[in-house]
Amino acid sequence: MNLGIRAVLYTVRKWKKTLLVFALLLAIMILVLSGLAIADAQEEQSAELRGTTGVSFTVSRNTATGGWGSGNGGSYSTQEYLTPDMMEQIASVDGIKAYNASIRTILCLSNTKGQWLEQLEPTGHALVDCQFYSYGCFNSEYHSLFLSGALVLCDGKAVDMSDDNEIVISKEIADKHGLKVGDTIQAVNTPLSDDQTMELEIVGVFEVVADKTDERNNFNEASYYDYANNAFVSEAAMKGLLENYADVGYASADFFVSDPEQLEVIIHQVQSINSINWNNFLVTANDEVYERVSNSISDTSTLITTLVIITTVISMVLIILILSISIRSRKHEIGILLATGIGKTVILLQYVLEIFLVAIAAFPLAYLSSRQVARALGTLFGKTVENVIVTPHHFILVSVVGTVLLVMAVLLSCIPIIRFSPKNILSQME
Amino acid sequence: MNIMELQNVQYTYDNKKKVLKGINAQMEQGKMYAILGPSGCGKTTLLSLLGGLDSPSSGKILYLGEDIAKTGLADHRRSHVAFIFQSYNLIDYLTPMENVALTSKLPSLPILEQLGLTKEEARRNVLKLSGGQQQRVAIARALASDAQIILADEPTGNLDEDTAAEIRAILKDSAHKSGKCVVIVTHSNDLAKEADVIFRLRKGELQASDRLDGISLKRQ
Repeated sequence: MNLGIRAVLYTVRKWKKTLLVFALLLAIMILVLSGLAIADAQEEQSAELRGTTGVSFTVSRNTATGGWGSGNGGSYSTQEYLTPDMMEQIASVDGIKAYNASIRTILCLSNTKGQWLEQLEPTGHALVDCQFYSYGCFNSEYHSLFLSGALVLCDGKAVDMSDDNEIVISKEIADKHGLKVGDTIQAVNTPLSDDQTMELEIVGVFEVVADKTDERNNFNEASYYDYANNAFVSEAAMKGLLENYADVGYASADFFVSDPEQLEVIIHQVQSINSINWNNFLVTANDEVYERVSNSISDTSTLITTLVIITTVISMVLIILILSISIRSRKHEIGILLATGIGKTVILLQYVLEIFLVAIAAFPLAYLSSRQVARALGTLFGKTVENVIVTPHHFILVSVVGTVLLVMAVLLSCIPIIRFSPKNILSQME
Repeated sequence: MNIMELQNVQYTYDNKKKVLKGINAQMEQGKMYAILGPSGCGKTTLLSLLGGLDSPSSGKILYLGEDIAKTGLADHRRSHVAFIFQSYNLIDYLTPMENVALTSKLPSLPILEQLGLTKEEARRNVLKLSGGQQQRVAIARALASDAQIILADEPTGNLDEDTAAEIRAILKDSAHKSGKCVVIVTHSNDLAKEADVIFRLRKGELQASDRLDGISLKRQ
């Protein structure tokens, strides 16, 4: 009788033991597969966080190290400003995906017929009601109002360095005046002055998401601080609109990094740019939100990883223990098989085959079951059901590692018995 | 013809207690041998050494002139010897037929029927058989194998008189009719009487005697 038949007969006839090992393997597989799926969902969430969280650093004038002057408006810092060249140099450092700096001014907007556009809630004074709080942006997508979620682009695109004379306005203003993406409006910094009037194409429309109570900007209740009365124009357009005014540069600029984990390294590289006098500028990391969320996610990751490891280790100890008890109870059988001349290797192979027969049934069933269990367990760790997926890759990984561990468990359980001579084993049994 | 030969075989337990002190003996095919001796004198140890279940501390055991330590104890157990134990040593998840099939490729039912088991008993779980039936299965397993030597350790020790008598007859036939070399360790004078040669093991030394000596031993 060959070992295969013996293995099948043992598995079938000792069905209670088989069932116990089957249940154990099933439970272990389900837990480990679920753990891996949750861990992957966690990793995905971390990666997503790294990709989406607006981690940036701000380069700003260091007024503390500059001189001070005085004029009609009082004293002012004579510290140098950031120039577009400086920003370009900084942005060329690897790992910086975008940057933005902006100039604020109040523009008066009109349609192509020269009729002033009115703010959302007009006061009745035409030259007041046409004033829109406007930002000249390198990239309006990275303006703090969009990054914070207060405003969301709902049509078209943001203004950036590729644009010349473009503008993004609110949906409310667009609707009020029957404007849409592709239309052209006019803008001027100071009407009835030498300031040039420029035609700007509407390339994007944004919606105001912020609560009405948050909508007003910092200073007062003036209607042009209403977010709906904000506008974003390209940096090139703003230069043209402000050509009559001194171009001093930018007080600060924000630089956005691709991988938040690299923020420190990137800042270090930026501060190594020799052509910029870093005594005149401050670099501030804006990663508080990321750090807070990241720490929380990192804690959860550690918890999940620890749980997966603990589950696997406890499970393996348990399976080794049960196999060890099971094989110890078969000491007599081992002695008999050895006495009949069956080799030790053949006996080991029989026991390995028996556990394989159980595993062949348990593993696929665990794979199917773990899909549901992983989702249920995943929600306990704050994961969405869709994100917790047990993949074939998980199954193959756990099956291969599980098989190796099972073989090791059988060997570890058998070796203490099989190293004795058959006489010793049989006499111990008698 | 000598099938087995022991040359100055010694065995020491835990490197302290010398159980066998230089045993020399020859065994032939077609004969039944009985090994007698007081409890703990090393009878079962000697049988284990003959069967390759253990190795002697020194000395040689030859099968057809070849040292079994060199040809391999597992090979010796697989090809040359078959055991019958007092406690039957059957595998509990196999039927009698399957237990016999462990050592033989021949159909196992005929030999089981020959030894008195019915077809139904031959397919039953071995643990559901009586002691006598289990011993018959153990004997069937030994007889069904190709082994030329049958080593039996107290084969009738747990059996009633009638069954013991049947087993004695089977073992005797195995030697005299099937030409096997049967070596039996026993306390039973009835069984020893059936042997062609009786070995007496005392104080680690083996003495051979003929059947008459066996009877005289019975008289002691």
